[in-house]
Amino acid sequence: MRKARSLKKFMKFAALPLAIFTVVLVVPFVNGFYYTFTDWDGFKVDKFVGFSNYAESFADPKFWTTLRFTGLFVIVSLILVNVVAFGLALIVTSNLRSRNFLRTLFFVPNLVGGVVLGVIWQFIFNSAIVALANKYDWELFKQSWLQDTNKAFWALIIVTVWQSSGYMMIVYITGLVSIETDVLEASQIDGASPLRTLFAIKIPLMAQAFTIALFLTLRGGFMAYDVNVALTEGGPFRTTELISLHIFQDAFGEGNFGTGQSKAVIMFIVVALAALVQVTISKRYEVQR
Amino acid sequence: MKKTQLGALLIASAVALSLVSVAPTATAATCAKKTTVTMLGTIKTEIQDQFLAAASSYNKSQSCYTLKSIPGDRNITFLQNVTPKYAAKDAPTIMYDLQFIPEMADKVMDLKGTKLAKLTTKELLSAGNVNGKQVGLPSTAEAFGLLYNKKVIKAAGIDVTKIKTRADLEAAFKKLQAQGKKSIHFSAIWWSLGAHFTNMFHTTAGKDREARLKVLDSLVDGKMDLSKNAAFKNWLATYDLLKKYNGSPANLTDTEYDASIAALASGNYGFMFQGNWTEPNLMTAAKGTDFGIINLPMSNDAKGYGNDSIPVGVPGYFMIDNEQSTKAERDGAIDFLTWLYTSPQGQRFVADPVTEGGMGFIPVYKGFKTEPATSMSRDIAKYVNAGKTLDWINSYYPGGLQEEVGKVSMQQYFTDKISSADLAKAIQDAWKGKAKTWRGEAA
Repeated sequence: MRKARSLKKFMKFAALPLAIFTVVLVVPFVNGFYYTFTDWDGFKVDKFVGFSNYAESFADPKFWTTLRFTGLFVIVSLILVNVVAFGLALIVTSNLRSRNFLRTLFFVPNLVGGVVLGVIWQFIFNSAIVALANKYDWELFKQSWLQDTNKAFWALIIVTVWQSSGYMMIVYITGLVSIETDVLEASQIDGASPLRTLFAIKIPLMAQAFTIALFLTLRGGFMAYDVNVALTEGGPFRTTELISLHIFQDAFGEGNFGTGQSKAVIMFIVVALAALVQVTISKRYEVQR
Repeated sequence: MKKTQLGALLIASAVALSLVSVAPTATAATCAKKTTVTMLGTIKTEIQDQFLAAASSYNKSQSCYTLKSIPGDRNITFLQNVTPKYAAKDAPTIMYDLQFIPEMADKVMDLKGTKLAKLTTKELLSAGNVNGKQVGLPSTAEAFGLLYNKKVIKAAGIDVTKIKTRADLEAAFKKLQAQGKKSIHFSAIWWSLGAHFTNMFHTTAGKDREARLKVLDSLVDGKMDLSKNAAFKNWLATYDLLKKYNGSPANLTDTEYDASIAALASGNYGFMFQGNWTEPNLMTAAKGTDFGIINLPMSNDAKGYGNDSIPVGVPGYFMIDNEQSTKAERDGAIDFLTWLYTSPQGQRFVADPVTEGGMGFIPVYKGFKTEPATSMSRDIAKYVNAGKTLDWINSYYPGGLQEEVGKVSMQQYFTDKISSADLAKAIQDAWKGKAKTWRGEAA
């Protein structure tokens, strides 16, 4: 009786979102999973092919190089985005007079869509910086960064950091302001240096914010697509294709829908595992109050 | 159940519609009901406005059909655009593409026997024919080769009609340099390298089409050693020559296309490897300077195959869906295309220069009253009339190949990242195991 009533209550609130979730997420996911075992060509399914799509995906050397490149991108962007975002959060929670203005300023890049952002930065890297470099003789920037695999990687990182630091900053601000002031005042009275306060009190007490921000950047790194397409287009020589772009190219560019779909499933498992491990570890550092 | 009823209803109404159109009436343009015919995108973005103007003129000219262009995303391939539409049971009636014709072959109408198919030539229809089924109808003919800025070339005292060999071309390049001009703007755009520049090898690899297709066969079978192929060596030598005299820094991104047009129009460069589709943009950028097109010599033998010809081909074919459209929609699609290429009004939109509201196309159907008006179109018409044309073997490239070759090995060789032997091997690897669609294999 009680159970039926609570179910009714649950459905009252959750039925609509649950239905939408099912239609736009669960159904396509299951459908996509089913396609990986067929010879789907984007239009129709003729027969089941077992695991051959997966076997083909694993045998594709391009898939492995892309995975490695994506892994590197995730690690570097994860570290840099969070270091920068935390630094920004410290700045805007300090006693600076311009802190409200800075908060808005740092957040603005996040409001620009990824594709627009990519196109703007493509112009900056390809034309603006090169023109300046030729005028003032900066050797490092004379050739567009997007022409060289390693530099194009850093270009991707720079744009990603620039775009997502502002958002993660908000997460860290929430963590920083949620620390009770009595603890901070006590540490001040005890004569703790600001650095000591940061590492011994602030960071442990806001570990939850790190769990969230790390999870978001980890996921964002694996899923990065729009900046990749708009900034480097996967070039030069298709060496900066992140996994999402690679899957898209495989399926729609070359018409290999079977392997494209199975690579997407493999990708899902990789991201799920990585996120699970990260959240489990981060949770351990959270302080329960 | 519901679906089949709806389908039956549609068929019933289509039958009713076709009955109406058969009924003898004095004015042919009376219809029971107006049908909307959809087309995915337009022919291409450069002439999008002109095409849409033609469509709206067609819509006003009769009362049976409304042609509506549904926007596509030009940053993704045709296949990327069309598959979601088919999956959503919302396929466009008219589609326009070249690369993915084999993939579409089983989903579209056989256009053999249509009025337009009879008005054009077998040659022009060939790349739109899959296993004897006429999958598409050609839109126009385009050519690529060495474009030149007439003013700059004239000032340097070069007679382009005398350029027959690689050595002649190098001499012309040197004359330009002596004038303080840059010889050539050689673009690293992936589709220019991947489709058009590689075609220069494939189209000179055999003296007739069968021989050229045999080269593709042996590449697919993994039996071709390009490094020992004479045509390939000649092609590499021409590639190296253009690289050597290239006056612009390599730009591997898509911004290069606009940059290259601006460069040739500026009067600082003599030549550019591109196609006549850039002519409207060049003329706009240069405010009227004339531009011409000549062959790109592929050997040092003045009588060598292809040295007096340019690759002329069909850049795309119109296809009409046969799976998700109604009979009325298909009739409307054919009616529109026939109007576009046979009515005096439509022909003006097709062949008039871009500056006068037309698409600047070179006519590929008989009975055109409008002559090509621009300098480059006239040059191409001259080559076509003299029978000095080369095949677009790139029409036969398997889907994805020009990306793989153009974005990777061709751009790597362009920027001196790999050797010519690596390039030969990369092209061989890219072809190995692909479907021989030119032999009727399924894509």
